[in-house]
Amino acid sequence: MSKVFYLQPDGVEKVIEGTDGESVMTTAVKNGVRGIVGQCGGALSCATCHVFLAEDELDNFSAPSEDEDDMLDCAATDREPNSRLSCQLLLREGSDIHVTIPSSQL
Amino acid sequence: MTTIDQPLADTAYPFLPVEPSEAARRYAAICADRPMTKMTMPIGGDAWIIHRNSTARAMLGDPRFVREPFRTGERTVPYFMEFPEFLKSTIQFEDPPHHTKLRRLVQKSISPKRVRGMRDSAVKFANELIDEMVAKGSPSNLVEDYSIALPIQMLANLLGVPPEDRPKFESWSASTLSVANMAPEQIAANMGELVQYMTALIEERRREPREDLLSDLANARDKDDTLTDAEIIPIALILIIGGFDNTANFIGQGVLSLFNNQDQLAVLLEDVDTVAPTAVEEILRHAAWEIGNPVAGMGALVPFVATEDVDLEGQLVAKGEAIMIDPNGANHDAIAMAEPATFDVRRADNPHLTLSFGLHHCLGAPLARMELQVAITELFRRLPGLRQDGPVVINYDNLTQPITSLPVAW
Ligand code: FES
Repeated sequence: MSKVFYLQPDGVEKVIEGTDGESVMTTAVKNGVRGIVGQCGGALSCATCHVFLAEDELDNFSAPSEDEDDMLDCAATDREPNSRLSCQLLLREGSDIHVTIPSSQL
Repeated sequence: MTTIDQPLADTAYPFLPVEPSEAARRYAAICADRPMTKMTMPIGGDAWIIHRNSTARAMLGDPRFVREPFRTGERTVPYFMEFPEFLKSTIQFEDPPHHTKLRRLVQKSISPKRVRGMRDSAVKFANELIDEMVAKGSPSNLVEDYSIALPIQMLANLLGVPPEDRPKFESWSASTLSVANMAPEQIAANMGELVQYMTALIEERRREPREDLLSDLANARDKDDTLTDAEIIPIALILIIGGFDNTANFIGQGVLSLFNNQDQLAVLLEDVDTVAPTAVEEILRHAAWEIGNPVAGMGALVPFVATEDVDLEGQLVAKGEAIMIDPNGANHDAIAMAEPATFDVRRADNPHLTLSFGLHHCLGAPLARMELQVAITELFRRLPGLRQDGPVVINYDNLTQPITSLPVAW
């Protein structure tokens, strides 16, 4: 069990206890977290699951693949150095994840 | 003991057209009862039809369901009608890895970012159309004057059709529209000319690329692979056919469903800019149920085949079985959403599957959403007193049952 903290652009935060091995995108979609669409279901072909990952958690994940990097350029909200596609961020036992949701995915 | 206020809904599927409220009751009962039903299709034998939203998502996100046997002709597509040959050659029927290559290349060119860049020109064009309507004076046929014109212009823009060729492009493309109701030979002739025109345009863009989708595709390189014309043309066609007919229909249905739900129209008018995005999702989910027609328990998106035995939420789908989702069910599943029968323009949690989901989700989804948002926002911002001014005409002969005339006044 680990927790994902979803911070909306308006400052509202939602905390979800997720299942290890599932992605930050799936966890959001299953729990009705606004602002993460995940239209392609994690196939890296929609860029509607864009999030900003907490700076101090960047190293907890391997760097974006070439395909993720490509798709990040397609996101509706301009990417930042801490941008990730949340379908690629998998929950792991004991490490919480903090993400900020961009103002628009579409 | 449970109290039963209403008689239990009939859970038989498929079902003949009934009042939308009754259809909603039945879909809710069916979804509560089971994730899917096996039925014999009018064409192509037996297939599973998924009702539940969560089951639909699980299937659409599972790579063990593929479309290859349909593409290769190894199997007839089980469906409600014959599937047109040319559709089988499109990206919809490809599976990974070839699908992945096509999909990514196209997706980048029609990405949320690219579409955001097109928004201003959509707003401008919508306003030009409204100016023309106002200049002509009411009443006006919204379908002709607005809902068809906007998507066709956006598509021409996206593909990179030069302004001087727009009239030709429009008439070829419009022949595929369900509202045009043309004879199949006429459509084929128009498509032939359209393909020829596109082929020449692709050649031109290969030599002199510009900032448009055809240039992107013509010059796309995926590692060391380029796209051939035979790959690009079907992509352009599916965008034209899938994109603009559907978008035009959704604009018409959306406006009519707002007219039919004056309380919801009032909610939208209070703050058009803020409400439009959720209103558009609700239109995608449910507007077809609010235009005054009965609803049948039937219909589905393009099918898949299971490559091995798969357990989907408790139902075994055996290797080789065909499976598809009925978006009507998934969009009215009371397990996945509150009060599915209610048209709620502020619905916050709206997991509809009208644009599908997963690997094969609608390629043009960002564009369609943007166009619908702009169409609804600008129309009601400029003409807040817009009202229906005469009977609507719906073409029941066509599968998509498009609205061909929606008289409006303001
Ligand atoms: S869900 Fe589509 S890219 Fe992440």
